[in-house]
Amino acid sequence: MKITVCIGSSCHIKGSRLVVEQLQYLIAENKLGDEIELGGTFCMGKCQQGVCVMVDDQLFSVSPETVREFFEKNVKPKFA
Amino acid sequence: MNELCCEIGYKSIRHVGEQLCGDHVDVVEQEDGSAVIVLADGLGSGVKASILSTLTGKIVSTMLAAGLSLEECVETIAATLPVCSVRNLAYSTFTILHIIQNRTAEIIQYDNPPVIVLRDQVNWEYPRQEMTIGGKLVYRSVIRLQENDVLIAMSDGCPHAGIGFSNSFGWKQEEITSFMEAMNYCGYSAKLLSSLLVDECDKLYGGRPGDDATACVVRMRRRVPMNILFGPPRNRDDVKRMMSLFFAKEGKHIVCGGTTSALAAKWLKKPLKTSLEFVGDMPPIARLEGVDLVTEGVFTVNRVVEYAKDFIGDNARYDEWSRQKDAASLISQLLFEEATDISFYVGRAINPAHQNPDLPITFSIKMNLVQNLSDALQKMGKRVKVSYF
Repeated sequence: MKITVCIGSSCHIKGSRLVVEQLQYLIAENKLGDEIELGGTFCMGKCQQGVCVMVDDQLFSVSPETVREFFEKNVKPKFA
Repeated sequence: MNELCCEIGYKSIRHVGEQLCGDHVDVVEQEDGSAVIVLADGLGSGVKASILSTLTGKIVSTMLAAGLSLEECVETIAATLPVCSVRNLAYSTFTILHIIQNRTAEIIQYDNPPVIVLRDQVNWEYPRQEMTIGGKLVYRSVIRLQENDVLIAMSDGCPHAGIGFSNSFGWKQEEITSFMEAMNYCGYSAKLLSSLLVDECDKLYGGRPGDDATACVVRMRRRVPMNILFGPPRNRDDVKRMMSLFFAKEGKHIVCGGTTSALAAKWLKKPLKTSLEFVGDMPPIARLEGVDLVTEGVFTVNRVVEYAKDFIGDNARYDEWSRQKDAASLISQLLFEEATDISFYVGRAINPAHQNPDLPITFSIKMNLVQNLSDALQKMGKRVKVSYF
């Protein structure tokens, strides 16, 4: 699985850095480092929905407060 | 284009308690790339000294740049300077560095500490000719310039640094020379070399300078062109034109902006690899084969502008940007220290994603950034060209 976080200008203001750090933590905590490739990208053109996070081909809107919820709901079940 | 260019930097500190500096540096650049640099030190300190040195500096630089002879300049100064009522004397010492087409330097010295010339990193005792002009003893030298030559002119506040405080006999010329030899060895810019010298004087004076002290450094270096792409063009059809012009240019290439870097990647047909390493509070950089540095746009450039303004002002944030590895620091290092000729390729597209009222990014801010940055770079003595698309 590939998770891509937008680190463009707009998502940067909305806290993409915190999202990236929490995802890195969650991936390590769940020992999914070998399964998930975490990457960054510049602007995806969906700034209104930032912070934009792509899980494979699906777009999610995540904020630093909802990272854990997003991870539990959309990422973890796929490895259960 | 001549391959060499001169980088000029200077800094002054004031006599303790004075609001004006009695030393004055005047730089006149001519169209053919020649430059006349005058460092004048007015008698005494404060307002009177400031008037004397400013007049001297302006008169000499303007007249020499207009092609008049040295004799005429000196006579004009002698006839023009107001006479000090206390000392019954009109007096300002001066050093002239006339860099002719970046090939030859004419050094004219009147009563200031001798100009230090560092060649191949070591002090060079260049030939000097004694002349008497209007009853004043003036030294004149004409030297052929080489790459990495460094010329250091200073006012007597430098060798007098610390008299009666830390150094009972001041800071000896030989000691200044060896200090500068060591600093120059590190490859620092002219601006930084002058700051280092004057800051050291300030230290020797214990932070309370007993005289105005000024250092002016001219460093001969090879031209280094640098190109920056910032923003997509207003008209989509111009992408090809913009990219081909940008990538055809000699020198390093910097791409700023998310959409812009995607366009560059498409043009180069190479993948854009964004890293996730956050350094400081700047967005991460990306890698793209064929481009030397890829960064995010407005935030990064905004920080670069802050660093640029500080660099030409107090230079208090040098330690931040000169060592860090974040995007803004990397751009600053390339632009402020490495580059001599900078070409901006600025796209005027309005990013629809930025039209969100929650975001502090507007089109006018983006254009102001470019304007502010190019102004600051020009003040650093760089040649700047801005093209809009």
